[in-house]
Amino acid sequence: MSEMAVLARGVYGVWLREIMRATRDRGQLIGGVSRPLIWLLILGVGLNPYFRGEVYGQVNYVIPFTYLQFLFPAVIVLNIMYTSIQFAVSVIWDREFGFLREVLVSPLPRSLILLGKVLGGATVATMHGVLVLLLARFADVNMSVQQIVTAIGLMFVLSFGLTSFGILLAARVRSFEGFGVFSNTLILPLYFTSSSVFPLDPSLSRTQAVMSYPEWLVFLVRANPITYAVDALRGVLINFNQLPPHIGLAVIAGMCVVFFVAALVDFNRS
Amino acid sequence: MKRRKRNPWLTVAINLALIAAGLTALSFLPPDNSLAEVRRIGALKLCVPSEYPVLVEKDLQKPGFDVELARKIAEELGVRLVENEMMSMGKDFNPRNWQLTRGQCNVIAGGLADTETTRSFLQTIPTGIETGWVAVSKEPATPQEGQVWAVWPGSSGLDRIALSSWLRERGIRPVLLQSPDQIVDLIESGQIYGAIVERLIAAPLVSGQAYAMTWLAPETFTPVQLSQGLWKGDQTLYRAAKQAMEKIRASDWYGEAKVRYGLDAPIAVIQ
Repeated sequence: MSEMAVLARGVYGVWLREIMRATRDRGQLIGGVSRPLIWLLILGVGLNPYFRGEVYGQVNYVIPFTYLQFLFPAVIVLNIMYTSIQFAVSVIWDREFGFLREVLVSPLPRSLILLGKVLGGATVATMHGVLVLLLARFADVNMSVQQIVTAIGLMFVLSFGLTSFGILLAARVRSFEGFGVFSNTLILPLYFTSSSVFPLDPSLSRTQAVMSYPEWLVFLVRANPITYAVDALRGVLINFNQLPPHIGLAVIAGMCVVFFVAALVDFNRS
Repeated sequence: MKRRKRNPWLTVAINLALIAAGLTALSFLPPDNSLAEVRRIGALKLCVPSEYPVLVEKDLQKPGFDVELARKIAEELGVRLVENEMMSMGKDFNPRNWQLTRGQCNVIAGGLADTETTRSFLQTIPTGIETGWVAVSKEPATPQEGQVWAVWPGSSGLDRIALSSWLRERGIRPVLLQSPDQIVDLIESGQIYGAIVERLIAAPLVSGQAYAMTWLAPETFTPVQLSQGLWKGDQTLYRAAKQAMEKIRASDWYGEAKVRYGLDAPIAVIQ
């Protein structure tokens, strides 16, 4: 067997372990789908009357979609964020129970061990995103095969970046409890300030948007990289972009490279 | 005896299949009760302007294409159609001033353009009818410089300012009309080359006459798809009405109705 094949087998082994661990645990899977159910079935339906018009020509937000359609891509991103970042718990787990030490003494380079772990986490997170697509009928989001394939590709790249980010965080948090609290205080603010649940009116200029919302909130929304990820996925799934589409793709790709390199530096140092 | 090792992917596949089946089943839950409410009261409320030929007409035998279409949709839903004639519709360019409320209508029809702006307020179901400025003349033609053309802007929401700029730029001599009924006489007497009117106004003029309709500069005046509008968020009613519309459009009745209202006449395109 060539050296390349041996290394690829090593990466596959690390990837497979992550996949098996995440998918054989039915509780973890149910937990993963409970979020989209709450957001779409309860929050989406509950808030729907507040986003529809009661008088023709008068709506709160002038977007050519229903609230459920608008929310749908954001819920996919939320599911990916949770799964990707929470995946880092597995790194803490491996560290606590000595498995990481065993892997690190293997002939496999650290960069490939990290790649295997990140690929594993990204695959699981993408799968959690794909599961949300099964609720597309409920949200009245009609997708072509090409849209689905593009969306899955985008989800995977986003998952890869966020899993790397999670591993970066795990290196700084030593306990499971600490990571749980820390990740929640990070995920939810990032999600809520990503124009996921309230649209920035596309017919308004930036100055008017600042007038609609406090300037600090507009600043947070525009500075948040998740805003661009949500926007890119909205563009693919419902053909609606609030920001130039190429920016979303560039931000996701940038997140992917920056976080992976940073995680690699950290992983090599640990 | 040695126990056979279970394929590790089998558990993964079973788990994923169970979750996927559960989510798929949940996706069939109704997101609202708009359809149930229509069925409960047994009526679909339609709001239309008092007159907008050929979509809404005052003739009881021939109430208009959109009205007949809505009746068919109601029939498909198993309810009766309640027609609300709204005097305010079309009186103002801003639909907000029409004061159409959810309580008055489930469906809005009678010249509703299927545009992004409309879709920001309503969910639209295309009726398969297009409108826009057309040139009515003896032969398919586009107005040329120096020619005299009658212009009847009517009460539609088409861009009149763009039309007047276009006519001025091309040096076309317009004749304003008091009524579209004058068009046939003026063409026959040779006083005008043809008339520029909205496609729906042109439909009865060309029906049964030896006139041709030509889309007026389609690269400038893109024809708009007409639709019936339902309130945003009334998902279950929208789905049912859309399904009914698809069925109706595939039926013989749809083609016959188009002939009845002169909406089957071909429209030439001259680039």
